[in-house]
Amino acid sequence: MTDFLRWLATGIRLPLLLGACALALWAAGAASPYQVRLLAVAGIHAIAVAGLQLVFGLAGALSLAQGTFFGVGAYAAGLLAVHAGWPVEATVPAAVLAPTLLALLVGGPVLRLESHYFSLATLGVGQVVLLAVILGQEVTGGANGLPGVRGLVLFGWNCGRGWPLVLVVWSAAATVMMGVALIARGRSGLALAQLRADPMMARCLGLDVGALRLSMLVASAACAGLAGGLAVHSLRVVSPETLEFPLMVGFLTMAMVGGRGRASGAAVGALLLIHLPEWLRGFERAYLVVYGAMLLVAIVVAPEGLIGLAEQIRRRWWPEPPVRLPVALAPGADAPLSWFRKREGSGESTPLAGAGGSPRAKRQDSRQGTLSPDTPYQRPAGLWKPINKEDLLVITKLRKQFGGVVAVDGVSFSVAAGEIVGVIGANGSGKTTLVNLISGVERPDRGSIRFAGREIAGAEPFRIARAGLTRSFQSGGLPDGLTALEAVAVARLAGHERNRRLAERRARWFLDRAAVPPDQIGRRCDILPPPVRRRVELARALARGGTLLLLDEPAAGLGVDDRQEVATVLRQAAADGLAILVIEHDLDFLAALADRILCFERGHLIFDGPPAGLKADAAVTAAYFGGPVT
Amino acid sequence: MVQLLVNALALGAAYALVALGFVLVLNAIGAVNFAHGELVMAGGLLAAIAAAAAPVPVPGVLLLPLVVAVMAVLGVAIGAIGYLPLRRRPPAAVFISTIAIGGMVQNTALLAAGPEPRTAPPLLPAAAVELGGMPVSVQSLAIIAVAALLIGGQYSLFHYTRLGRRLRAAAEDPDMARACGIPVTIMVLITFSAGAALAGAAGLLLANRFFVSPGDGAVYILKAYIAITLGGWGSIPGAVAGAFIIAGFETVVSLWISTPLALGLLYLAVLAILIVRPSGLFGEAAGRRL
Repeated sequence: MTDFLRWLATGIRLPLLLGACALALWAAGAASPYQVRLLAVAGIHAIAVAGLQLVFGLAGALSLAQGTFFGVGAYAAGLLAVHAGWPVEATVPAAVLAPTLLALLVGGPVLRLESHYFSLATLGVGQVVLLAVILGQEVTGGANGLPGVRGLVLFGWNCGRGWPLVLVVWSAAATVMMGVALIARGRSGLALAQLRADPMMARCLGLDVGALRLSMLVASAACAGLAGGLAVHSLRVVSPETLEFPLMVGFLTMAMVGGRGRASGAAVGALLLIHLPEWLRGFERAYLVVYGAMLLVAIVVAPEGLIGLAEQIRRRWWPEPPVRLPVALAPGADAPLSWFRKREGSGESTPLAGAGGSPRAKRQDSRQGTLSPDTPYQRPAGLWKPINKEDLLVITKLRKQFGGVVAVDGVSFSVAAGEIVGVIGANGSGKTTLVNLISGVERPDRGSIRFAGREIAGAEPFRIARAGLTRSFQSGGLPDGLTALEAVAVARLAGHERNRRLAERRARWFLDRAAVPPDQIGRRCDILPPPVRRRVELARALARGGTLLLLDEPAAGLGVDDRQEVATVLRQAAADGLAILVIEHDLDFLAALADRILCFERGHLIFDGPPAGLKADAAVTAAYFGGPVT
Repeated sequence: MVQLLVNALALGAAYALVALGFVLVLNAIGAVNFAHGELVMAGGLLAAIAAAAAPVPVPGVLLLPLVVAVMAVLGVAIGAIGYLPLRRRPPAAVFISTIAIGGMVQNTALLAAGPEPRTAPPLLPAAAVELGGMPVSVQSLAIIAVAALLIGGQYSLFHYTRLGRRLRAAAEDPDMARACGIPVTIMVLITFSAGAALAGAAGLLLANRFFVSPGDGAVYILKAYIAITLGGWGSIPGAVAGAFIIAGFETVVSLWISTPLALGLLYLAVLAILIVRPSGLFGEAAGRRL
């Protein structure tokens, strides 16, 4: 009971629930038949908008095909009902299926596109479908549409146009919105938040961005198709208007006004914007202009929509109790809750394509949970134990050219397990390009990169990440909207925890290890002070739990004491068997930390040896110190 | 044959103005101005209404300055309302705000002018001249001349004047430009007004050959978008080249099949190009940032 009350008191659930009850009471008692019909229309729109929340709100891809998917669903149901005489029980599933298949067909190639091309491509798909419908006049009725679709009769029960229809539609809407809310709050929601903030970072954390986006696009199409099927049976006519752009703008407006990415935003937006023309009777036909104005106001003034505004008000006037932080759980330790154990699957491993066997999976299975969750600081045995000790990373004759600039030229070196290798060089000497090449962000022109015995040159970043290679980015890359805890938990999603709460408990362990103060763990990344940000980034890199870490200036902008702490954390990790390649400008920091130093100049590796030899090397002193060091 | 070629060139020249305005704003704000197609429609409609309101027949050439001036003001308004409040937000925000503005422009046009198609007067009153023994429409030649003048004017403005250098600097790197004392906000608004003026001029040129009605914006935004995709995202010469490719495609393919079918084929062709080359036909002029 108290759990339920606490659930009710979080966020704006209580007012939303009360509002829904009030609406239902009003509709049951005082609404005219016309108003009841409007409610059904709003419910149908809410289903389609909830789908848009998945692909646009959560996956961050501005799909302009949601209207098209709706129309394809409507036509699939309408044509099957009119021409083939299918019953509603069959046409509505067909309405879901048709746009789902279309999304699967176009999704693969279209989702690879940069965001602006993605929007164009989705728009183009819509135009092609619309033209096909208008030109296929004999079947589709062309520009006039097709009348004579039967009403919604489910298993012999005629829903008619009144109350029963509203119940059917809103039950479907509630189910869809519940699904969206579950996705947003779960494991995928966390992965999608990272994807929205920075797709490349998401890839480097092992997330399969393409698969995530495709699944959201397909799910959004299914929602739109369901809405289209219900719409066609309640309006009893198919018309090309269901495929035209204004409908898409309507969906987008509802999503934005209601609250982007929020399930409840779909219902609020749909209810508000469907009723708007009624309230704006005085404006007559100008209500469409007001529609546009509302979308504009929403995006400028309230980018999080009405739901976002309400949440803000709630936070200001009635602050929620601080989030209870999860108890740290060491990697390899058993989850204390037995019902998680089966789904936890800490041994999930995705080997690179073509690689035989999975030594990593075996290693992880052999890692028994011996630690109690209450002793987080003990080092678990063999946390980062590599596959073979020597030559974890072997790079041979690597080359990358950008236009006329050879950023990396004929570079060969290797890194062993447990080794800390420092990388120095002037700006533009190819250090960051090197890290980009190894982590798969850039594709090398020539040369080989072998990691843990497999060739990874040119492989996809998420596959490289899943093979156990982790990188950090020079310019942070922490997602603004997430808390430090969530940002680190993202790193546990690919190949580790299947469960978000478990991922957060592991994240807590790594945050503690990187000495992030507990009072900062629940705060959003964008308000963290820079030294804490650096440590959170470090915690996230460590939390990937791979065998090799590439760090791009992990101590940039830190004071001496903070640098010392970063060095301590790195040394500890290396002692556990993790290999670390670290780019830094601060030689003193590196000299104390690294076993070996690599020095780059204009894409060439000019020095590879212990830090002590650095100042004696003529080439290094000429390139890096600007003359012999006295 | 000559007539066909001249018509294709004229169509390409008008589309080039549309694409040029689109890409100028795109480069200045790093985001798509989705209201651009509606501005083409608005320019055409404005010309048609102004011509109908005039007591005597007015050639399009005289209406051109009026249309350009009104559209330039509208462009500033769109920039100020649709972009400035969102300048620190992701490009998708501007995309949506300009969708909203486009909807408002379209529905305002619908309220003001009604849904029926209208037509604007030709640029010059004459009908056809002989060119190498073939009759060639004066309108087509005039469109080519006006478009060449406007594109040339834009080029010289951007490359040979102080204002042009500032405009380009503001588009290239706004923060650096601001640090150098260039009023970036004003530069962006000027670009918006130039983009809208070009769109309006294109609308006037197109509204004589085709009818213009408030629902036409969507077609033009798609064509501008496609021209940029063909020519290389962010490339100004590429945008013009892309526009001519579209015009050639439409003219040639329309000989065999109906215009709507040709349009569908164009969309399919572009989708195919994007699938084979995800960063456009000639790559992207604007590099990807990590």
